[in-house]
Amino acid sequence: MSSEALKQEIRAALDNTTLARTLGTFCKTYPAKREKAYEGVDFEATRNKISEVKRYAADHVDEMIAEFTKNCEARGGHVIVAKSKDEAMEKIRALVKEKNVKTIVKSKSMASEELHFNKVLTEDGVLVQETDLGEFIIALEGNTPVHMVMPALHLNKEEVADLFTDYTKVKNAPIIAEEVKTARKVMREKFCTADMGVSGANVAVAETGTVFTMSNEGNGRMVGALPKIHLYIFGIEKFVKSISDARWIFKALPRNGTGQRIASYVSMYTGATEVVTDKENDTKQKKEFYAVILDEPGRRSILEEPEFRQVFECIRCGACLDVCPAFALVGGHVYGSKVYTGGIGIMLTHFLIDEGRASEIQSLCLQCGRCKEVCGGGLKITDMIRKIREKNAKEHPNAIHKFALDAVSDRKLFHSMLRIASVAQAPFTKGQPMIRHLPMFLSGLTEGRSFPNIAQVPLRDIFPTIEQDVPNPKGKIALFAGCLLDFVYTDLARDVVVDLNSIGYLVEMPLGQACCGCPASTMGDVDNARKEAEINIEGMEAEKYDYIVSACPSCTHQLRDYPTFFEEGTEMHKRATELADKTFDFCKLFYDLGGCEESGDGKAVKVTYHDSCHLCRSLRVTQEQRELLKNTKGVEFVEMEEHDNCCGFGGTYSVLYPDIATPILEKKIANIQATGADVVAVDCPGCMMQIRGGLDARGLDIKVKHTAEIIAEKRGLV
Amino acid sequence: MNKITDELYERFKKNLESVNGTCVRTSKENLGKAVAGIFKEAGIPDTCIVETPLMEEGGVINALEEAGIKVYTDHIRLNAETVKGGVSESQYGIADLGTMVQARDVIDERIVSTMSEYYIGILRGSTIVPEYDDMFDILAELPEMPNFVGFVTGPSRTADIECVSTVGVHGPLQMSVVVVDDE
Repeated sequence: MSSEALKQEIRAALDNTTLARTLGTFCKTYPAKREKAYEGVDFEATRNKISEVKRYAADHVDEMIAEFTKNCEARGGHVIVAKSKDEAMEKIRALVKEKNVKTIVKSKSMASEELHFNKVLTEDGVLVQETDLGEFIIALEGNTPVHMVMPALHLNKEEVADLFTDYTKVKNAPIIAEEVKTARKVMREKFCTADMGVSGANVAVAETGTVFTMSNEGNGRMVGALPKIHLYIFGIEKFVKSISDARWIFKALPRNGTGQRIASYVSMYTGATEVVTDKENDTKQKKEFYAVILDEPGRRSILEEPEFRQVFECIRCGACLDVCPAFALVGGHVYGSKVYTGGIGIMLTHFLIDEGRASEIQSLCLQCGRCKEVCGGGLKITDMIRKIREKNAKEHPNAIHKFALDAVSDRKLFHSMLRIASVAQAPFTKGQPMIRHLPMFLSGLTEGRSFPNIAQVPLRDIFPTIEQDVPNPKGKIALFAGCLLDFVYTDLARDVVVDLNSIGYLVEMPLGQACCGCPASTMGDVDNARKEAEINIEGMEAEKYDYIVSACPSCTHQLRDYPTFFEEGTEMHKRATELADKTFDFCKLFYDLGGCEESGDGKAVKVTYHDSCHLCRSLRVTQEQRELLKNTKGVEFVEMEEHDNCCGFGGTYSVLYPDIATPILEKKIANIQATGADVVAVDCPGCMMQIRGGLDARGLDIKVKHTAEIIAEKRGLV
Repeated sequence: MNKITDELYERFKKNLESVNGTCVRTSKENLGKAVAGIFKEAGIPDTCIVETPLMEEGGVINALEEAGIKVYTDHIRLNAETVKGGVSESQYGIADLGTMVQARDVIDERIVSTMSEYYIGILRGSTIVPEYDDMFDILAELPEMPNFVGFVTGPSRTADIECVSTVGVHGPLQMSVVVVDDE
């Protein structure tokens, strides 16, 4: 789904220059900052432990709640387990009333946002003050967080000064250091006089009844130290069993969240702590400590769905937002709901806030997988988003998508459509896309890039004419062409063949093959994806070959995923597994079969490399292609910045959201230009089409070549 | 109790400095002088103190008063609203992070370390552990979690406006740790 309203939200966000600047800069510098913060810490081991301890807590959630309640109460706290959000809020209202609370200071609590805490209590006549600087600013603006960790990124210092001037009735200068001082002054008085403090928990420990809050500004500590009543609000997903288990979360949370090795403050409250009850007489006693645990149906429904249970392992670090190419452009007001934002925000929104909103924003995911790489809890975020997409496609089928995907999975229909297109296409005019009637993933009216011609003769007709002179072949490889090699880049397919011939392998092209099914999978159409898997398992006859090669990592990824479409133990599952195990991407297979000898014509050429999302993150191939290129005589290899950032193609994405895809492509092109390279090497024909189109539309004389093409050219094989 | 090694102290200092804190090392006899010197240099006119035996032995209050700094030792909650400085002792340190760890429920200690503009934390060198994990091992093995445990690492900070890192929000604007060599 991509509604017109959402597209308008996108355009508005793209027009916000502050958001573009701050979020753009933050997202650009984030990966290096994060990496530095992890020096000396094994991130993979840490997130495995996080996943383990959080999974344990999720599996024993009732025990966690009971243990926490018992232990917190034993230390003087009061625990309220609320079975619905309404119940939670009603109990809080009653407490506020009973204790005659007039003023509340809050440090950040996302769970409280779910309860509409501020709105409800304000209507009751209570003064509720957000004290986190960013939350305070957006409260003044009357807005919702644009980012889970940095909620006011969309405003510049001038806008903040205006908001502060309105609020304090004193002129505030647009100087950040001064604005921070204003916040300190305004808030100090509130901390000192508030009747109640409200906190959110990063972690709750069952075994000791302890709650943890991490903060940088010190507002969390104020809220916990000054008011006589202290209320914690958190969901059942925050539990771990022991203090020792909690350590893993605070190893990743600050590093992932803000690129800090630790935040300024990590506070642990176990039951009721001491507080000054009368400052004039200096009397002290234990505070009144309450913990409201949200054990409501939304959270329980996450636990009931095996495919989404992992959401409980989220530590709310926000890393999935910080690396997301789409989020970097539009921020969380578009890519999120009123409470939760970004990749994980889709799932949290789906289960906890608003299913309708989730079903809209899920379409903003490029499926590039960068979020999975950095996720502090090791969540398979993109896979879960795809599941939501599938659910969505089933519940609200889109007729055009459905037609397109049905056509693709009908091999004969699809092929004849492509052939008709190749004949019918108007003479190629630069910058003018001319293919309008093809299935979605090939048709497109996109700004900022040219579109390639459909080959006059498809590969399947050319293939038999490719001469293969391989005496005593070492083995036989089947070529899985995929749509782009079959119908657009037929020369590339020929290069793949001659390259493999040069190291002693014969290549055949089984004609029963069809679209790999990746477009259907990406769009959430499982039925068509399975249908295509069946066609290809029959068509490729993996049993007859030593290997299957594909020069498109998206196809490779899809083929390797085939076993997941069939039930274990069935004949189809067995065949799918054989096919999956034999399938490799070109550069990986060529390298592994001994193709990495030093050779080449020696003619100087400067080459940079763009990593395709599927190749580097799903297939985890990053070194082989670089070795192949570096070992090619004449090639001077230079890395570009953000080499593994998505190019914006994302299958149908560039068609659905040209407003987002175009700036992503622009960034990629700027990074390419900065290297001064003559050639951008790629391993994905989709990326090739996208980047080549972008360079071409800008009139830049930089070539885009597939690794297989460079090898064939430089080794004189063509 | 083992005296802190030079290596461990340097590690603690370097990491604290990397988050805008400062750090000095002193003997017990010179503790008072060290604390007074920091406030004197920063132009802090008055301070709240939550005195401990270590501070008493180190003559902290005397040294501050001699340096012309007004000292408040009671009604901390009230005085902290106007007084600039704050001094308290903490129970542990983590060298790898430059972190000071409060591990007991004394409200006045939390108040001075949170409300002051310039906060000085005092640590016995022997209580500084090398790594974050060592600290969690200690906490996990305590017979009972103290009602309050707080990690404090440098002054308070924010990046909430335009992602510009700014030191000093609701908590201290400046923070120093004085590491006292155990005998």
